[in-house]
Order: sequence, then structure tokens, then C-alpha cells
Amino acid sequence: MPDWLTSELAGEIGRGVAVTVVLTLLTAAASFVVGLAAAIGRRSRQSWARRVAGTFVEVFRNVPALILVIFFAFAVPNLFPLEMRRTIFFQNWIVDLLGEITTLPLPYYGVAAAIALTANTGAHLAEVLRAGLDAVPPARVDAARSLGATARSAYFTVTIPDGVRIAFPGLINRLVHNLKNTALVGFVAVPDAFQEIQGAITETFEARELLIFAALVYLFLATVLEFGLRRVEAALWRGRPIDRTIDV
Amino acid sequence: MSDQIDFLWHQLPNLLWGFPNRRPGGLLLSILLSAGAIVAGLVVASGLAFALHSRFGVIRLLASRLMWVIRGIPLIVLLVLLFQFLGTGALFGMQFSSFWSAAVTLTLYAAVYQADIVGAGIAAVPQQLRDDARLLGASGFVVARSVTLPYCLRTMRPALTTQAITIFKDSSVVVVLGVADLTTNARIALGGDVTNAPYWVGTYMLVGLLYWIIAFGLARAVERGSRHTNALIGSAHV
Repeated sequence: MPDWLTSELAGEIGRGVAVTVVLTLLTAAASFVVGLAAAIGRRSRQSWARRVAGTFVEVFRNVPALILVIFFAFAVPNLFPLEMRRTIFFQNWIVDLLGEITTLPLPYYGVAAAIALTANTGAHLAEVLRAGLDAVPPARVDAARSLGATARSAYFTVTIPDGVRIAFPGLINRLVHNLKNTALVGFVAVPDAFQEIQGAITETFEARELLIFAALVYLFLATVLEFGLRRVEAALWRGRPIDRTIDV
Repeated sequence: MSDQIDFLWHQLPNLLWGFPNRRPGGLLLSILLSAGAIVAGLVVASGLAFALHSRFGVIRLLASRLMWVIRGIPLIVLLVLLFQFLGTGALFGMQFSSFWSAAVTLTLYAAVYQADIVGAGIAAVPQQLRDDARLLGASGFVVARSVTLPYCLRTMRPALTTQAITIFKDSSVVVVLGVADLTTNARIALGGDVTNAPYWVGTYMLVGLLYWIIAFGLARAVERGSRHTNALIGSAHV
């Protein structure tokens, strides 16, 4: 242990890593839901649903995540008068509740950054999931229909589950990318792992050691996340009579 | 409302090509920086792709480990980390400016993702096609130049463009090093001045729009081009 690494500093960095983990899991779950909804919307027969989902995807996929994070966290509160900002963004039950659940300091900026990351990753996942849903062999849906399933129930029990299975490798890539994108939230004063490590650098001036440590933290988290998601993927395919390359 | 438009109109040149009497910046620099990283990255990626298929196990292992490490680190961490070594002259004894350090980092970052695309592109050229060209009397060099390379480029183009768009968007992160790209110039334009607070939303919407135009435009152009390409490759299989 180097002598500049006080227990106080280690505690701060530890809390930062916890913020990164919580943010990663929250945005991953939320962007899966958003992405699936957008993918279903883009394949809908309703033209308005296709248009709404298409606009969402093309807007949030083609703007850098960093710009989205800064926009939602720092720019949007400026739309409101100064007196209202505090109650709308900083002192309300959502912020309090999030703080209580996670026992972490997640101010408005944290919520805004999470929304920005969710929109960005959700838009990317929508394309991945759409490709997956498109790749479900029509014969499988026909088989379900011929066994008496309604179009709706065939969609929910065959097309969506199999589409997600097929899309899973792409989904894993994007979610690992999302983990790395959480490092951007330091820009808007969210105390995540990288932000805390940068804070430690200004205190100790041990830039090289701490930056290499930051790289190792993210490398470790990315490896664990990828391993975990591969396990999920394997579990999704387990017990299914059809091989991964569904070719009915 | 009109003061909003006034502010944005006044700042637009700064966002597009940088502040007057300074080196090029803004969107122009974002494009130059990412274009340079993409082209230089392709050269590095080709090297990595060959290393991945090397006869020597050590080289294969080194290349794949390097790609694994760089892919597991956020670009923002990588930028600051490499600048810590390149900017101080601790590596190679040369002091890189923040711009060149960012350029090197982006190149490396682009290359580790491009390497897989290049590898797949080379593997996708049908051996039959090359053999046929040889049978018709073409030399090895001619086959490489007029069969393997064009075919390879065509199959790689959609994936490479998607990657190029990602690099262009990710280049916004160079703001951590203060490189005067579009994002940095937007921050400078707004400054630390509280009186500029009302312009934040408009400015960042404009910045988002500028990134969007390039990214979406590129994606659309390639979509249109790939339809044409698919027809060409389809006919090559006959």
C-alpha cells in the first residue's frame, strides 16, 4: 500500500465505484426496456408508432452521449426560473428516494445523466433488437399460429423471446459500451469512479498510479459485466431444442 | 427569443471552424481529428488483423490482449491516461501536445475496433474468385490490387462507416484535454458566466444538431451506397 492512499481516499473511490455500478445496472435495465419498445414500434403496422420510434432512434443514436449528458444535466434546468429550479430538480421525493435506495449521493445531475445514457443506449439497442426480431424465422411464428396461438400471443411468446435471444450478442457489446459511457457523467459533477479518482489525483498528485488504477477498474467491471451477460445468454438458450442458429 | 438567435448566430462561426485568429477548431477540427484517426486507425488495424492471424502464437496473444485492454477502458480514461505519458515526454522522449496526444489515442481506439472488421473483410474474399483471376493469367500483385482489395473494401464498407460514425461522435470526449473541437468550443462560448445560462439549451441543441447532421448524413449516404454495392457483389457470385 502506498502511503498516500489514506483510508478516507480509498473510501471515496470505493463509493465512486459503487455509483458507477449502480448507474450501469440502472441504465442497462432501463435502456433494454426503452430499446425493446422502440424496436417493436419501428416494426409496428401503425405508421405513427413507426414514426415516433424512428425519430427517437435516429435522434439519440446520432448525437454523442457526452452532448446528451451535458444537455440533460446542465442545460435543461436553465429553462426554468431560478426559484423553481431547486424544487423541481434538487429537492424532491424522487431524488430523496433514489438517495435512500442506493444510499449514494445521486443528485439531480445523476438522474439527468442516467436519462441521457438510457436514451443513447436505448436508441442503439433498438436497432440491435429490431434486427433480432426481424431474424426470427417466419416458420416458427406460423408453427405457433397453427397450434392455435393468436397473432398477439405468438408475438409475445415466440417473436419477442426468440428475437431477444438472437440479438443478445449485439446487446452485450452495446451494454459494455454503456458501462464505459458512464465514465462521462463526471462531466456533470456526478461522483462516479472516474470523477472520484480524478479528485484523488488533485489531492495526491499521483496521476499515473491512479489513472492506471482507473483503467484497471473499468477493465475489471467490463470483464465481469461481459462474463455475467454471457451467462445470461447461455441461460436464455438452455433447454431449447433448437440450436442457436435457428434455421427452421 | 431573438437574443437567443442572436447569440447562436454570433457563435456559429466559432462552432463551425473555430475562434478568429486561432488555429482551426470547432466542427472542422472534430471532422479532421476523427477522419485522421479513422484513416491512421485503418493502417494500425490492418497490422493488428495480420497479427491476429500470425503464425506465431506470441504475436497473436499480444495483439488480442492489446485489443482486449483498450476495449475495456472508457475513451475518456484512455485519453487522460495516455496524455499523462505522452504529454510529459515520459514515452519516446517526445512531448506531445494535447491535440497530438488525443489524435494518437483516438487512432488506437479506432484501430482496435476496426481490426475485427478488416480481419473479417479479408476472410470474406472467396478463394475461388482469386483462383479464377490467377487462372486467367493475372499475377499475384494484380490479383491483390484488382480482386482482393476492391472486394474487401466493398464488404467492409458498411461496418467501417458505422465505426467511423462512432469515432466521430466519440471524438467529442477530447474536451477533457481541452482540444478545441466542437464540444470544447461550445463550452468556451458559454463560458463560466452566469449571464449566459439562458443560452445553454439553445447552444447544446445546435451542437447536437451539428453532430447529428454529419453522423446521420454519413449513415444515409452509406445506406444508399450499400444497396448499389450489394447488387455488384451479388453479380460477382454468378
